[in-house]
Amino acid sequence: MTAALTTPAPPAAGRASGAPRQWRWLARLHRPALISGGALFLLVAAALVWLGGPLTDASAAAWKAYNACGFTPRCSYDQSSILLYKDVYNWTTIAVLTVPFLVAAWAGGALVGRETESGTARLAWTQGVSPARWLASRLVAPAVLTVAVTGLLTALHHWAWAVGRDRIDTTKFWHDMATFHANGTVPVGLALAGLAAGALAGLLLRRAMAALATAAVTVGVLWAAVHAAVPYLWPSVTRVSSLEEGPLGRGLLVGQGVLTPKGRAEAPCVSGGLDSCRDTLTDMGATAFYRDLHPASHYWPLQLVATGILLAVAGLLTYAAFRVLRRTTGTARG
Amino acid sequence: MTVPALEADALGKRFGRRSWALRDCSFRLPAGRVCAVVGPNGAGKSTLLALAAGLLAPTEGTVRVLGAHPAAARPRVGFVDQDKPLYQQLTVAETLRMGADLNPGHWDADTARRVVAGGDLDPDRRIRALSGGQRTRVALALALGKRPELLLLDEPMADLDPLARHELMGLLMGEAAAHGTTVVMSSHVVAELEDSCDHLLLVGGGTIRLSGEIDDLLAAHTRVTAPAAADLSPHEVVESRTTGRQLSAVIRPSGPLPDDWRTAAPSLEDLVLSYLRNPAAPALTPAPETLEAAA
Repeated sequence: MTAALTTPAPPAAGRASGAPRQWRWLARLHRPALISGGALFLLVAAALVWLGGPLTDASAAAWKAYNACGFTPRCSYDQSSILLYKDVYNWTTIAVLTVPFLVAAWAGGALVGRETESGTARLAWTQGVSPARWLASRLVAPAVLTVAVTGLLTALHHWAWAVGRDRIDTTKFWHDMATFHANGTVPVGLALAGLAAGALAGLLLRRAMAALATAAVTVGVLWAAVHAAVPYLWPSVTRVSSLEEGPLGRGLLVGQGVLTPKGRAEAPCVSGGLDSCRDTLTDMGATAFYRDLHPASHYWPLQLVATGILLAVAGLLTYAAFRVLRRTTGTARG
Repeated sequence: MTVPALEADALGKRFGRRSWALRDCSFRLPAGRVCAVVGPNGAGKSTLLALAAGLLAPTEGTVRVLGAHPAAARPRVGFVDQDKPLYQQLTVAETLRMGADLNPGHWDADTARRVVAGGDLDPDRRIRALSGGQRTRVALALALGKRPELLLLDEPMADLDPLARHELMGLLMGEAAAHGTTVVMSSHVVAELEDSCDHLLLVGGGTIRLSGEIDDLLAAHTRVTAPAAADLSPHEVVESRTTGRQLSAVIRPSGPLPDDWRTAAPSLEDLVLSYLRNPAAPALTPAPETLEAAA
């Protein structure tokens, strides 16, 4: 009785602090990755702030001077600012789009693959951490961190892009492939899918390098698939234009052609102003050009549907990882 | 004390589509024993221990650990893997702190520290800088610090020099005796385990060839030397060899032996080797009822 009274209930205390304890050790084990990842994040974030602030101002001023020149033969403008802006813009876009690949490679190579290869996963499972909780701790905290980092970077990228949109003549269109993705939520979905793919690959392959490569390739394949699917993820808008005008309308192109009495047909040529083309078009009975496209207002619907699909993939991969773990170790939960 | 530490029933584990690492294993290990799992490399010892530790799921049959499903028993079981995996980037002290953190409520810091202290280890040394023997010591400290009821050790002494082996074995046996821990350790070197173990599981060709108390197993077998024409058939023959006019055999007598046969008790190594040399020899794995009666 006395023992029961004097002993502070350790199991309850242990359960309450179980997750934080695990996260503390997770952070300790991956300290080098946390530090280098944090440094990379700060570097890219700082570059984006620099891009959206002073670089945009300098580049906009230079463009203003350039446009004021007109055809004056001797006229000076700050060309280096324009070039620097373009360079920094391109590199930061690449950096933002690289994040999902880095997350996937780290998840496959270090977070899970290294542990299954070296056997430290088995050590953890026999040290009071059940396999399911081990995997959960390795997915939850990194997922939160991934969403925060990727989300912040894409938000900053969007801001830096939007600030220069009307002031810098060579700003990328919203539907430019790299800009389209780096400005939105697709990288967040890709990074989460990469995290789950890395975990699954690590559990299945039990080789750090193989899991690293598999996870990175998975992100590449997913991205390519999402990119190919994007035009069809939201109903497009059709713009009809006369044969003289040629197909018109700017935005994310889905398809174009000519309208004939029998319906839509492929356009053999698009220069309706040229006689030869005009003749071909009238011969086939074409009455007008059409173009299916997404206007800028479709940006967020397209991004969100694409991200939703990626999140569903991430969910499936996570479920598969838990299933694999359960099948190998023969434990459901714990 | 009637709950066995380890009980397997028709246990089997297949890797891939075809290769069975273990098949049809049935045995029972009473609590409190120090059990040697002996067999050649690749016999299935590691698979058996991983199944018992709840690290692998059986393909068929069941294994019960301390009366429970291996996954449920995991908090009460200590396990040291063959390769002694440890987090390379942690220091010795950090590794022990992690053990304390991951086993809240049942961590014996003194034992863990004592195991490590015996090795003259600098606590601030990183695991990756340790020798094989030192790593074994840290891995054992983690397993013992958990204060397990059942300790599963896969080839624990394989990379130790004789001095460290002797010392660590002494430490292990001391801890086990002090807390009544059941110890199961595998090795392919019989001599390594002979002095410390009282129970034997002989694994060969993916199945249990012998299981039981070592004394009972030795008593059940006799090494005989008889005339070449002697008829061994009423007895179970493990191994027999005829040289000239003499026949020498290891048998399990099923009745009194003729007076003109010379008999001797086999050594444990003798017995193990005779079974391993003769895969066709009938296995001796007492049925659970017999064992219970014996225990």
